[in-house]
Amino acid sequence: MINEWVVYLLFAAGMFFLGLYCLLTMRNLIKLFIGIEIIGKGVSLVLLSTGWARRSIYLAQSLVVTYIVIEVSLVATALAVIINLYRANQSLDIRKLTRLKG
Amino acid sequence: MIFLYIGLPLAVAAVLPLVGKASKRVLPDFLSNAVLLGLLVYATTGARALLAQGPIVQQVRWLGEAVNIRIALDGFSLFMLMTIQLVSLCVGLYSINYMEHYGAKANYYALLLVMVAGMNGLVLSQDLFSVYIFLEVAAVASYALVAYGLGAEELEASFKYLMLSVVASAAVLVAIAILYGMTGALGFDAVADGLRLLDANAVVGVAAALFLMGFGLKAALIPFHAWLPDAHPSAPAPISAILSGLLIKVSGVYAIARIFFHVLGMTPALSQVLMWLATVSIVVAAFLALGQTDMKRMLAYSSISQVGYVVLGIGLGTPLGVAGGLFHLLNHAIAKSLLFFTSGSVQQATGTRNLDEMGGLAKKMPWTAGTNLVGSLSIAGVPPLGGFWSKLIIIMALIQSGEWTLAVIAVLASVLTLWYYLILQRKAFFGKLAERWTMVKEAPFWMTAASVILALLVVGVGLWFAVVFSSWVQPAADALAKGF
Amino acid sequence: MTFQIILLVALLLASAAAILAKDLLKSAIALAVASLLLEIIFFQMGAPYAGVFEISVVAGLITVLFMLTIALTKQGDDIRESKTVKIIFPLFFIVFALIDFLVMRGILARIPALEAAAETGTFGDVLWKERSFDLVGQVAVILAGVFAVLALFRKRDHHD
Repeated sequence: MINEWVVYLLFAAGMFFLGLYCLLTMRNLIKLFIGIEIIGKGVSLVLLSTGWARRSIYLAQSLVVTYIVIEVSLVATALAVIINLYRANQSLDIRKLTRLKG
Repeated sequence: MIFLYIGLPLAVAAVLPLVGKASKRVLPDFLSNAVLLGLLVYATTGARALLAQGPIVQQVRWLGEAVNIRIALDGFSLFMLMTIQLVSLCVGLYSINYMEHYGAKANYYALLLVMVAGMNGLVLSQDLFSVYIFLEVAAVASYALVAYGLGAEELEASFKYLMLSVVASAAVLVAIAILYGMTGALGFDAVADGLRLLDANAVVGVAAALFLMGFGLKAALIPFHAWLPDAHPSAPAPISAILSGLLIKVSGVYAIARIFFHVLGMTPALSQVLMWLATVSIVVAAFLALGQTDMKRMLAYSSISQVGYVVLGIGLGTPLGVAGGLFHLLNHAIAKSLLFFTSGSVQQATGTRNLDEMGGLAKKMPWTAGTNLVGSLSIAGVPPLGGFWSKLIIIMALIQSGEWTLAVIAVLASVLTLWYYLILQRKAFFGKLAERWTMVKEAPFWMTAASVILALLVVGVGLWFAVVFSSWVQPAADALAKGF
Repeated sequence: MTFQIILLVALLLASAAAILAKDLLKSAIALAVASLLLEIIFFQMGAPYAGVFEISVVAGLITVLFMLTIALTKQGDDIRESKTVKIIFPLFFIVFALIDFLVMRGILARIPALEAAAETGTFGDVLWKERSFDLVGQVAVILAGVFAVLALFRKRDHHD
């Protein structure tokens, strides 16, 4: 069981890397948030495969369900911030977010 | 019924928008402040008497049947609850006047109450996954509150804060999943018991590193601090106060302390890492604060530096160090909220946060200037105010355990703190009054009242520090140290 | 396990496509595809409830939210992502995958043997009876999200 758990962890770490790479290099605000979503998918994979490896799949499922609810409310908030930013700047470019420096 | 700390703010927040339809200002003001006042009174009187019999684990009953909601209250969580309720109440009072021109007050108070409920839930839960949930509850509410002004600057700060904070939460959740995988449990005690039976140092090390990164980011320890100097100054003043005064401490310092002491166990290596992270934060942030001309930005850097002191005390791990760290947490929560309040009053009266443009405001805003002075001196560690005693205890604890280098650094950084707070005083409140400020008026009643209450508390904690220390801080430190 | 690994690789590819796609709409669709794959993985692990949630909420609702946002912000200037980012991506990814593989293999040897007791009851029992506190947390987080959206889209009649 542990061997297979580690395989899932390996791929989840891959998702984490993809998300972080996106966060560090991309310029479009929506793209950045897609990176966050990919990290989130990696995390739910970790949670569920952990529960699976421990043979407590029901508990893991209930954790993942809660996690998804949290994710939805986070996504709604973040996209609302992004839309407002677009209205304020007429752009989604991260390079134009330079008001705060120092 | 300690579940009230979570249930009551949530219930009131849920009905506030409806109430807001009937009465735009008065009822939301009254209702939310009444809730916070009630919870504060309960924390200082009722819950304390309950605690006299030892830690409480409460099972909630719903329609006569026991529901599996188990929340626990011990000295440490009670201390945090009291601090949360105290600062939130003052924030609520201050908002009565300050949030007037932002509009949608009912919505604002609803978010504030949800955030308070999130922090209370974090402090009361005794299960790793619940810690994560309430961390997110408080965080989601805080993203919206930072952006509440809807100006480009606020939105930008909120977006940056959100991005970094989400990564931090993800790291925390992965660490929780790892511990769950190791022990098959999520409760604090069960995980701690499970880890004691296992020989899994490598895996626990990975989890500790992830926790440190996640909570370190929430607590804005250097090098994880990048979001704070943007987010805290951009938010409306009461929100800056609650973020700097409470949120970074509850979702950062409290979580670090609780998990490292009660779940993972404080190892010497962990203690060293925490202490050095804290020391770097203290020194670097103090130097960065020195160079600021934006008043709220200076205060934000000062928060990073002072949270460093708190983590330094707790990271030291000796009973005296932990007690000093927690005492500094209380002092900083009160004084920093006060400073953000006064900076908000100044900003509202003059329309600027730039220190170079101010000057001589003490003549026009005596209450604001006076309370600001009290807060500054307390954080800078001038006797006999609260901040002096807590820094003294931390430094004594460092010397007691032979950490001379860190003690010297802590003392020197404290001098630096005094220096930049004197710069702030001189530039903003003393000196010659510029001509453009001759029409400036003192802040409205509730804003002044909230600042005065906090200033009195700063002085009170300083004068009766022995009482406060023995009745609130010592039980908290004992509860924290009991784990290991 | 082979089937699982194929699915996991596909999941990674879909995520990479979501990041590297030029068009935002295509990114959102790739993200939905990644959700679908994740859902199949969940089913394979015997977690139908989590799978259903993943498919209805993440692949459905969140994708719709993304599309809505993309539509609302369409008139913006064309943001060109830097080309080098995409060119060096495979290099970085291979380096990371190697490190990841070595670290995980190292960890594998250090994980102590875990005995796992089979679970009793049903999913409903666990969610409603064991994890009831999480439900309070869910209510709180939904409230936070709703108020956040209301606050961010409120009419700004009073603001200066």
